[in-house]
Amino acid sequence: MLFSQARKRDVVNTATATRVARVDGFVVLPGPARVALLRLGKVSGAGTLLAWEDVRGFGPDAVTVATDAVIRPPRDGLEQRAEDNDLEILGKRVLTERGMELGSITDVDFDPETGAVTTLITKTETLAGQRMIGLGGYAVVVSD
Amino acid sequence: MTAPTPMLLLRASEVTGRPVVTLSGELVAEIKDVVFERSGGRIAGFTLRNPGLFSRSRKDSLPWVGVHGIGRDAVMVADETVLIAANELASRKQSRDADVLQDRVLTDNGRDLGRVVDVVLHSGTSLDVVGYEVEASEALGTAGRHVFIPLPDTVAVSGENLIVPAAATEFVSEDLAGFGAAVGAFRARLREGAS
Repeated sequence: MLFSQARKRDVVNTATATRVARVDGFVVLPGPARVALLRLGKVSGAGTLLAWEDVRGFGPDAVTVATDAVIRPPRDGLEQRAEDNDLEILGKRVLTERGMELGSITDVDFDPETGAVTTLITKTETLAGQRMIGLGGYAVVVSD
Repeated sequence: MTAPTPMLLLRASEVTGRPVVTLSGELVAEIKDVVFERSGGRIAGFTLRNPGLFSRSRKDSLPWVGVHGIGRDAVMVADETVLIAANELASRKQSRDADVLQDRVLTDNGRDLGRVVDVVLHSGTSLDVVGYEVEASEALGTAGRHVFIPLPDTVAVSGENLIVPAAATEFVSEDLAGFGAAVGAFRARLREGAS
């Protein structure tokens, strides 16, 4: 499933059957490349992060959670940067470990069952998710 | 699906201003200058400045051994721990006119080929100094023009001269694009001669 397709999807609490948030973005971490957190919008509480482990199902029409309590604020510096959008992968430049730029990320393909990132997509390249070494404020770094 | 990495040659001076980026994707600094080592005509490393328009010099620097890869768009490092104090880098070179720029390139049979204006680096699986950009002397028949002279694996240097085998003159290139093949051919020739 592509990030572009999965964004704006409703997050539904299965206990109350109510819509509690909307998916605004994805926090990808390397080693192995995976969706670690979802960034949410239209939340009622203070938190905007949802850890992948706390997602019950990432379905074609909605993302489900068992309770609102799993939607939470950042717990550490990395999560804070994720919430601040510093680690947003979409639009980020891609550099190889040899210092060659391969364009900017336009979309990401991931497995909605596991959260594993399968493909990084730029305007000119499709890169296997396993090639991703790092993701920082400046760039996504991929192996040669 | 990984395409073979083409042989990438770049001038040391072109590295100036390139971002220094960690493998975790963080911008650390920009390259300010190249520091040459007197012994062997190698590069000791790079001085750094902070990124941005009103950038300041920094007290740390990037030693050659700390470079993971140099490409067209960035200088990659494993992480910030590879940086060392700038004065530590400077102490590795000889203090008096410590770089090879403006050195005279002399063949081992005594011909002056010209003066060094830049150093050519090869970035592949390792980083090497593979040649010099030289402002050619009369001896090359292209006096005044800039040409590229390949470097053997080892080279003798003194305070002002840099000695290359006479065979190097057969592998002089006028552009950087053709120089990669010339370096390979030149080094192959030297190996044949040695065996």
